[in-house]
Amino acid sequence: MQLSINGRAYEVDAEPDEPLLWVLRDALGLTGTKYGCGLGICGSCTVHLDGVATRSCVTPVSTIEGRAITTIEGLAQLVDDVEVLHPVQQAFIDEQVPQCAWCMSGQMMTAAAFIETNAAPTDEEINVAMGANYCRCGCYTRIKVAVARAAELARERGEA
Amino acid sequence: MSDTEQSKPEKRGMNRRTFLKVLGGGTAALAVGVVIGGPTIVREARLRINQAFLSGDAPTSPPPESPFVWIEIGADNQAYLYIPKVELGQGIHTTLAQIAADEMELDWQQVTARQADTERGFDPQLIFTFGSTSVTSLYAPIREIGATLREMLRVEGARQFGLDVAAVRVGNSAVFVVEDEQRRLTYGEIIAAKQGEWVLPTTQAALKPSSEFRYIGQSVQRVDLRDKVTGRAMYGYDVRLDGMLYGAVARPPQYGATLKRAAAGDAESQPGVFAVVIQDGFAGVVAESRRKARAALEHLDLEWEGGTTITQPEIEAIVSVPREGGTLIQRDGDVDGAGGRRVEAAYRVPMAIHAQMEPQAAAAHVQGDRAMIFCSTQAPGLTRERIAAAIALDEQAIHVVPTMVGGGFGRKTGVDVGVEAALLSQAAGVPVHVGWTREEDTRYGYRRPPAANFLWATVSDAGEVLAIHHEIASSDILLNPQVGSAFLGTVLGTDPLAAYGGLIHYAIPNRRVVYHHCPIPVPTAYWRGLGSFPNTFAIESFIDELAEATSSDALDFRLRYLPEGELGERFSTVLNAVADASGWHERDSLPAGRGLGFASAYDRGTVVGVVAEVSVTDANIRVERVWCAVDPGLVVNPDGAAAQVQGSIVWGVGSALIEEQVIANGMSTSQNFDGYPLLTIAQTPEITVLPISSGDTPVGGLGEPVVGAVPPAIANALAAITGRRFRRMPFRL
Repeated sequence: MQLSINGRAYEVDAEPDEPLLWVLRDALGLTGTKYGCGLGICGSCTVHLDGVATRSCVTPVSTIEGRAITTIEGLAQLVDDVEVLHPVQQAFIDEQVPQCAWCMSGQMMTAAAFIETNAAPTDEEINVAMGANYCRCGCYTRIKVAVARAAELARERGEA
Repeated sequence: MSDTEQSKPEKRGMNRRTFLKVLGGGTAALAVGVVIGGPTIVREARLRINQAFLSGDAPTSPPPESPFVWIEIGADNQAYLYIPKVELGQGIHTTLAQIAADEMELDWQQVTARQADTERGFDPQLIFTFGSTSVTSLYAPIREIGATLREMLRVEGARQFGLDVAAVRVGNSAVFVVEDEQRRLTYGEIIAAKQGEWVLPTTQAALKPSSEFRYIGQSVQRVDLRDKVTGRAMYGYDVRLDGMLYGAVARPPQYGATLKRAAAGDAESQPGVFAVVIQDGFAGVVAESRRKARAALEHLDLEWEGGTTITQPEIEAIVSVPREGGTLIQRDGDVDGAGGRRVEAAYRVPMAIHAQMEPQAAAAHVQGDRAMIFCSTQAPGLTRERIAAAIALDEQAIHVVPTMVGGGFGRKTGVDVGVEAALLSQAAGVPVHVGWTREEDTRYGYRRPPAANFLWATVSDAGEVLAIHHEIASSDILLNPQVGSAFLGTVLGTDPLAAYGGLIHYAIPNRRVVYHHCPIPVPTAYWRGLGSFPNTFAIESFIDELAEATSSDALDFRLRYLPEGELGERFSTVLNAVADASGWHERDSLPAGRGLGFASAYDRGTVVGVVAEVSVTDANIRVERVWCAVDPGLVVNPDGAAAQVQGSIVWGVGSALIEEQVIANGMSTSQNFDGYPLLTIAQTPEITVLPISSGDTPVGGLGEPVVGAVPPAIANALAAITGRRFRRMPFRL
């Protein structure tokens, strides 16, 4: 089957019920998307399907053919061969959010989809949007600040 | 800067014979490996050894045989610092690089921190990244090495200029002519132009005065975050080798069960299976995908025997404070003869798992008489030792590359998954990756030991505390033979790591602490905070109860019984700082259903004060805010320190309110996050961190000391709100 990932077409030979997560990681080597629980609880495996945050560990690969998949590797953009970080990535560095960072791809993909739908979120809205992404290092207070900062950065870039 | 010209006598234990290794002259790279010796273990009386462990002044290992700090500077002037500790997310690569760069006068833009491995900068004991000791153990040695290198470069730079050493100065990875700063040679240029051998100075170069620090004490940004936010950082679970296949390993139905009989069954004919590996006590499958390997496990013909059928009540009966016996680990004065009215309380902490977000993972390629291992491990030396034993190779033939670690917290010792990957690779003859499922990690790791603590104190009619007695009962940490040394237990009579944080530092005239080792047939070992987690909970809850029993304010009570001298001063500063920041003195103005709780901790050199604001509504406990003042001596990176404290608070709140692993019929009842939920962002309190530097040297760590003070602060707040004591975690209304 053919998958469209980060704007590129991949030919994939996988069993239809194979979760997208393992196709990304083991078949294609896109290991930026992380495995945490396999049940869709922790959020480490979050990617975008047509811009919507989706748990790849419970998404059978056969159900997403033809849809636009974005992973953490595709979140930044290359502008004249220079990597320009997504506002969420930039904010997560600015606020020095990650510790071990195993959950962070999922946190950032969740946040990136969220600020597309809410350009100026409140703390409460961030709590709800990020409420199903575990972080065992306990970076939550910084995640909260960084998501708000990312929304602000995105607004600034939009105005520029 | 004349201070750097001074020299002082060689430091004790510095072994200079193997100090310097210069990469072949033509490569124009100065690489320095350093061996620093330490005092060897002196066998003293049991009590004294235990006290050394418990006071954080642990006997160090014998001097390592290989250099443990490895620094390379190439002609391009880039400095590569091979960091002799593993990056678990605590920011240690940044912190140790800051220390080295400061003393070496490096330009931070030209510093690259890399992970040391068994080929460069490796010492098997020192690289074990645990116990919040990285900065305290390496701060002085790294500075000494950095100063030595800086002086060697300065002397050589002066020689190349044809000037006196006093006529040049160092800065930004270069040597400058003082009279004409336009004239400079970069470190890289000096190294490239060096003729002949580098010779080590015979005296230790003077260290920079702290007033001239450029990086130490600054919130330098983390060096590992760009790779982490772009998905490029490589963890153990991410390793991919050419021709790599995937392994899965059969697991017992109960802890301690072993294979009575194992045969391939029809596993070999299952789709995608490359090899079935059955060896003494081990059965696994190598296949073209993880799924196929795991599916084929079901087709093995296995019979298990033995194993425990233990249940939770039985565990609690074993891990309890008995009427007598135990090992004395602290004795000051005469507790029994002190007299007074008795106050007592018992506390209990259940088992908990690490739930680090990256499950165990390793890739191995065993080729004949050598092996290459990539592993998510805090303990590369132990990983190598156990792999060597399992696959019958010399340790020297095994190259271990510690990857980025997706959460450690004590769980990532590499001894399980590293050995499994090596066994499978050796038998199958191909590179093999083994990555545990969350279910495997939840059930088959080791866990936080259950603990029971019992305290009593006696109080005079005037309200003075006359004596305090503390009994600790806990299962294994260091004495777990899989990851530690059962032998040590026979020497010490205690599990020193389980007794961490158990000594009474309050200046009560008569004090006694007794430890009871209570092994259970369920694996327990390292977990963030070690023994200081249950012990601090018990002591600090009991101190609050004693304050209440003597009609004292919880802060005043602690201030009254401060230890003497410098430690007491540090405590006073920390406790007052957290009280002031949290509005402790105005807590009576909080609305009904809200309260503050106070706790402190003294753990491995670090002084901690915590105040928790808790609300109780109907059946719900919510931790609203937490303030923490923390003094590890010197804070090298204040923002990094704050991150460790924030994480510790989230960790402590989760344990206080949610976490518990329950055993039924010899196995964990929870298998995944559906049965073991973690704290979420919405349950996280607002956090205020007050990092305090009380001196010019780090004397304690930051990854763990705060954790233990969080649950008692919450319990003490709950007592203030409800009038009830919460002596068992997790707290339930």
